[in-house]
Amino acid sequence: MIALTAFRVAAYVRSHRVYQALLPILAMLAIIYSVRAPQGEEAAALTASAVLIIPFLAWSVRSLLDTEPGRQRVISATGAGSPLREEVAGLLASLVTSLAFAALALGCGLLLGLSATPPPAVLAMAVALHGLAVLAGLALGALTSRPILPSPALSTMGLVSGYLAMLLVGSSPVYWLTVPVTAWMRAADADRLAAELPHLAAVSLGWCLVALVGYGLLRRTRP
Amino acid sequence: MRGSVYIVGLFITTKRVALYRYSTMRLSKVSFRYRRRERYVIEDVHARLLPGELVELTGVNGAGKSTLLRLLAGVARPTSGTITDRPPVVAFAPDRFPAEQPFTVAGYLRWMSRVRGGARWEPWTERLSMTHLLDVRLGELSKGSAHKVGLAQALMADAGLLILDEPFAGLDDSTRAVLPGILAEVTARGGIAVVSDHQGVLRDLPAIRHWSLSGAQLIVRPAPLSPGPAFSDSTSAVEVTVPAGEVEAFLGRMRDEGYPARAVAREEAT
Repeated sequence: MIALTAFRVAAYVRSHRVYQALLPILAMLAIIYSVRAPQGEEAAALTASAVLIIPFLAWSVRSLLDTEPGRQRVISATGAGSPLREEVAGLLASLVTSLAFAALALGCGLLLGLSATPPPAVLAMAVALHGLAVLAGLALGALTSRPILPSPALSTMGLVSGYLAMLLVGSSPVYWLTVPVTAWMRAADADRLAAELPHLAAVSLGWCLVALVGYGLLRRTRP
Repeated sequence: MRGSVYIVGLFITTKRVALYRYSTMRLSKVSFRYRRRERYVIEDVHARLLPGELVELTGVNGAGKSTLLRLLAGVARPTSGTITDRPPVVAFAPDRFPAEQPFTVAGYLRWMSRVRGGARWEPWTERLSMTHLLDVRLGELSKGSAHKVGLAQALMADAGLLILDEPFAGLDDSTRAVLPGILAEVTARGGIAVVSDHQGVLRDLPAIRHWSLSGAQLIVRPAPLSPGPAFSDSTSAVEVTVPAGEVEAFLGRMRDEGYPARAVAREEAT
């Protein structure tokens, strides 16, 4: 399965689809870090980076999973030993690339976007939020990939709608009905992130796991 | 009748006995449809695949051959029914190789070899006459050349179940002539080979079984009653004692598998 994961990453990079995600991410980072965040606002700036990168990560995941043609999916599934292993290899490859993009975003934020080095606690929270962003992007991208939504138009609309739902529902009283990304930002702006992060992280993690399990179940009937 | 047993005579070739390192793969009441309320593509299929067996699957376009092959390969789940005792290593060559991938032929086969745990792909490029294509990008291959890449990735696996979907389509004459021999090698080591074939290239092979899909039903033509020239060089008579009530079923199973079986004598149990 490791070999199949590496094969998927290699196909994604060699097909140059990786740039379809990398270039918009660089543009987004250039915009949000065009002005360095003042001292004391490091948590808010890094949280905004974690929230804003989610749709790009989802796009990257969808693009990586869609790089593999349908007939190659069958070859890969038989080669790996089962369709489940093929699915897991695809998710692992997406996770690896998403982690690289998230690390790039966090690194740019730390080097270019802040006026002062953040305290270790803020840094740890930023790492956790970028990790949650990776999982949210992974789940959203997988659920809008071609095996689940074969129509490119529906897939793109699904991805954008899913992210908008996170933003809108996350700002409402029923924020716990989705990955509450807006609640992340509100907590960071109000300097309550340390207190609220365990609860927000649990809700976020729960929805990501539900979405990934849903993806696995849907793939059982969509090989 | 109670308490009586039959001695049944079987002629089993010594070569054939050696093949039983894999168990018989079984399809029981297998049905498949793509969505609820749609018609079944495959309906209530019962079949067995024996180690060392070569099966030719035929049917008109849209009959469900590729679907059945995917069910056999384990990449699609039956809507109902079960497929059991599938060999652990399965290889699949699709009807059209997915050439829209960013690799050269050698690069792609090297990746598939790694996925297969280091399978040797180089000999297959020679046997399929494609060594001159190794540095060509997959997207630049002709249909026949791309098809050879699909065959090479499947053949390198040394699979217990080899599934080839229209393997002769677009192949040049020399490769077309080589492929039946390769399939014979696969079955000789106990592998099962299932091949959908519109061209009828395999039709006249003596040891082949014919499956046909029509109206979602699988028609399994009876296997030849004699073991065939491939097995006639060395045969043995085997005595098997079975309960009287199971004689017909047992003989049927053995005949299904190609052995000329008959009841020899009836004995009363003491």
